[in-house]
Amino acid sequence: MDQKEFEKLLLTVQKPGRYSGGEINSVIKDKENIDVRFAFCFPDTYEIGMSHLGMKILYSQFNEREDIWCERVFAPWVDFEAVMREKNIPLFALESRDSIKDFDFIGFTLQYELCYTNLLNMLDLAGLPLRSADRQSLSPIVVAGGPCCCNPEPIADFIDLFFLGEGEEVDLEVIDLYKQFKKKGGSKKDFLREAAKIEGVYVPSLYDFSYGGDGTITSVTPRDGAPAKIKKRIMKDMDKSYYPEKFVVPFIEIVHDRAVQEIFRGCIRGCRFCQAGFIYRPVREKSADTVNRQAKALCESTGYDEISLSSLSTSDYTQLEPLLNKMLEWTEPEHISLSLPSLRVDNFSKELLDKINHIRKSGLTFAPEAGTQRLRDVINKNVTEEEIFRTCKTAFEGGYTAVKLYFMLGLPTETDEDLKGIAELGQKIVDLYYSLENRPKGKSVSVSISVSTFVPKPFTPFQFEPQIEKEETERRQKVLKYSNTCKKVNISWHDSSTSFLEGAFARGDRRLCGVLESAFRKGCKFDGWNECFDLDKWNEAFKENGIDPLFFSARKREYDEINAWDHLDYGVTKEFLVKEHKKALAAVTTPNCREKCSACGAACYGEGVCFEKR
Amino acid sequence: MKNVRLFYTKTGRMKFLSQLDMNRLMTRVIRKSGLPVWYTEGFNQHIYINYAVPLSLGFEGLYEIMDIRLTDDEPAPENIVKQLNSAAPDGIKFLRAAKPVKPTVEIAFAEYELVFPDEGDGIYKDLREFLSQKSVVCLKKDKKGRLKEFDIIPKIRKTEITENGARLILSAGNEGNLNPSLLLSAFFENTGREPVFCEVKRLMLFDGELKPFE
Repeated sequence: MDQKEFEKLLLTVQKPGRYSGGEINSVIKDKENIDVRFAFCFPDTYEIGMSHLGMKILYSQFNEREDIWCERVFAPWVDFEAVMREKNIPLFALESRDSIKDFDFIGFTLQYELCYTNLLNMLDLAGLPLRSADRQSLSPIVVAGGPCCCNPEPIADFIDLFFLGEGEEVDLEVIDLYKQFKKKGGSKKDFLREAAKIEGVYVPSLYDFSYGGDGTITSVTPRDGAPAKIKKRIMKDMDKSYYPEKFVVPFIEIVHDRAVQEIFRGCIRGCRFCQAGFIYRPVREKSADTVNRQAKALCESTGYDEISLSSLSTSDYTQLEPLLNKMLEWTEPEHISLSLPSLRVDNFSKELLDKINHIRKSGLTFAPEAGTQRLRDVINKNVTEEEIFRTCKTAFEGGYTAVKLYFMLGLPTETDEDLKGIAELGQKIVDLYYSLENRPKGKSVSVSISVSTFVPKPFTPFQFEPQIEKEETERRQKVLKYSNTCKKVNISWHDSSTSFLEGAFARGDRRLCGVLESAFRKGCKFDGWNECFDLDKWNEAFKENGIDPLFFSARKREYDEINAWDHLDYGVTKEFLVKEHKKALAAVTTPNCREKCSACGAACYGEGVCFEKR
Repeated sequence: MKNVRLFYTKTGRMKFLSQLDMNRLMTRVIRKSGLPVWYTEGFNQHIYINYAVPLSLGFEGLYEIMDIRLTDDEPAPENIVKQLNSAAPDGIKFLRAAKPVKPTVEIAFAEYELVFPDEGDGIYKDLREFLSQKSVVCLKKDKKGRLKEFDIIPKIRKTEITENGARLILSAGNEGNLNPSLLLSAFFENTGREPVFCEVKRLMLFDGELKPFE
């Protein structure tokens, strides 16, 4: 590609910094000395992809190896895509600006279902056939990892190989195997067959699905020696697990524009709606020393003035207090602010608040998820109204005047009473504020309530549940709207039509591949973006392929039905999910992993919270 | 406390950075460099940086100026430059650090090089003709965003046009700044030409006596 010509074109689009490359800590290598070129693709915009921690970890880890050059690729925004198509610019990697078509690996990270059309669009922009079967040469091998791989079937026809679970080890094992095949000139078919023997690798083309008269799956049969069950991989010792000392520091503002320090993986809670809470089990912590050392190195190498401690539930970190004390010793003199996302209402202390207060006072966000105690018990969000009030009281007395609360609508067993409970909870928090003698003087309170639409996901106890349909979602949104009478409570919610699509793809099978391709051909992309989502095109795509999306999303599934993801093993057993589902319907809670082991199955990895002394 | 004036270039991929992006970048470069910089006090503390004349997205600059403050007199100017360059990305190069001579409000002119890489020499002839007019009035947004009539000709101090480029010294700074983009759009409109790509490079910043700004 002519660089001058390219840079000229960049000046004609929005935010050229998305495509320019050359950021601090980006890695440039001499391609003559490289055996494997890896295009790490994030199927969304630069600002979103660059905020993703997994990509930062693997990018740095791959590039530590002298024989691998890993580069970043993001979905071009629609304005630049139009320029690329008009000028025949193939999809390129940011570091070298080389077309990724000739790379050895094209790897996608799949964070949410609504990015699937972008994945196809990126393959197409690269000039590659979409379907795995139509790409016959050994390279490029198209691989994918990330949470959506726990049900990869809706994109099974397009991807050669999936990585299940955490990638730090398995990705490199596959790259090493590939190197052997490249050297001896092996075929793609043989490579995939060999790769399927590596634990954590799923090669979808080696599995045959058959379906019964009612449309459900009757069997999944492996071929050519592929395993019947594919087990996800995890990093067993987080203190020894690779963590980058450097992040690529973007020029343009991205969504999470700060250093991110991981403190543990997994979550002890087991909220029944939360896929992450099950697929990342077991909980494995890093020691406070490791976290402190890694965080400091990151801040020094990036120049960031903000660092956030990342996990699924930060206040559940067992060494949070000593860690914060250690970190404040250097963050304060260095003018670095510390942020703690994902706090829970039930272990939020005055001391913790004081530590955050030390740095910067912004709004506080909590997630009660449901409006009544009954429904919170159903979803196993072990949080009581008293705890919510106590937390708000602590926050208000600490000078906060704005609280943001997250809820979900459409949870199993939800009634209108539960919805009214959301508005009532908001009202009660406002009343609480005005009842406090020592509230911030002369200031009004604001309670923002954000309500998302619940989508049942694989590997959760709610994987058996029907998703409520569009009309019912909209009716419930209205109930919620009219039950709020307080001006200091502001309730917002999302459009329901993307949730419908997310629902079908979350629990769909490989019969959706055709629908996805049709939707892409019709021009669907950036489905997670309101300005791009086109429901009509999607409806046409489903119709043309004779597929009813509600079959996948809005149908109650029997416990003995074979789901499209049942041959994947994420540690948590189906028996456990069934048990949890039954308890949910009876509104019975399950204690968290630290209180009592509930024998979910994740102990099979031999590490983590399952083996802590209780 | 010591005020330090930094001279640097912004070229290559860095031309895609807006002024906001630049500010973010410079803050991080300074933090990475480990220099003992002064932070503003108050609610939202940040590194004090004053940019002499912000450069538009898409332009390259060979004589860019920014001022920072150090909390002690320790680092020698050559060490300041060394430390900053070791933290800066390709395309940002610090040339020297010095004690400010004049306040940046005294910047009066800037010299630009304009090149139309895809055009023949005809366009430069047209440009010369265009600039030799008595007056060219166009609309320019003032600080409050209102469109106002603005004659660009008195804002051009010197022109030097050959068959492969134009060098222009234009009014710069707080009062009557003439951005080459405005001149170019007036040129295309006035001559009825299709707008074409133009590479713009800022070569120098001057004081009121056309001496390199120090």
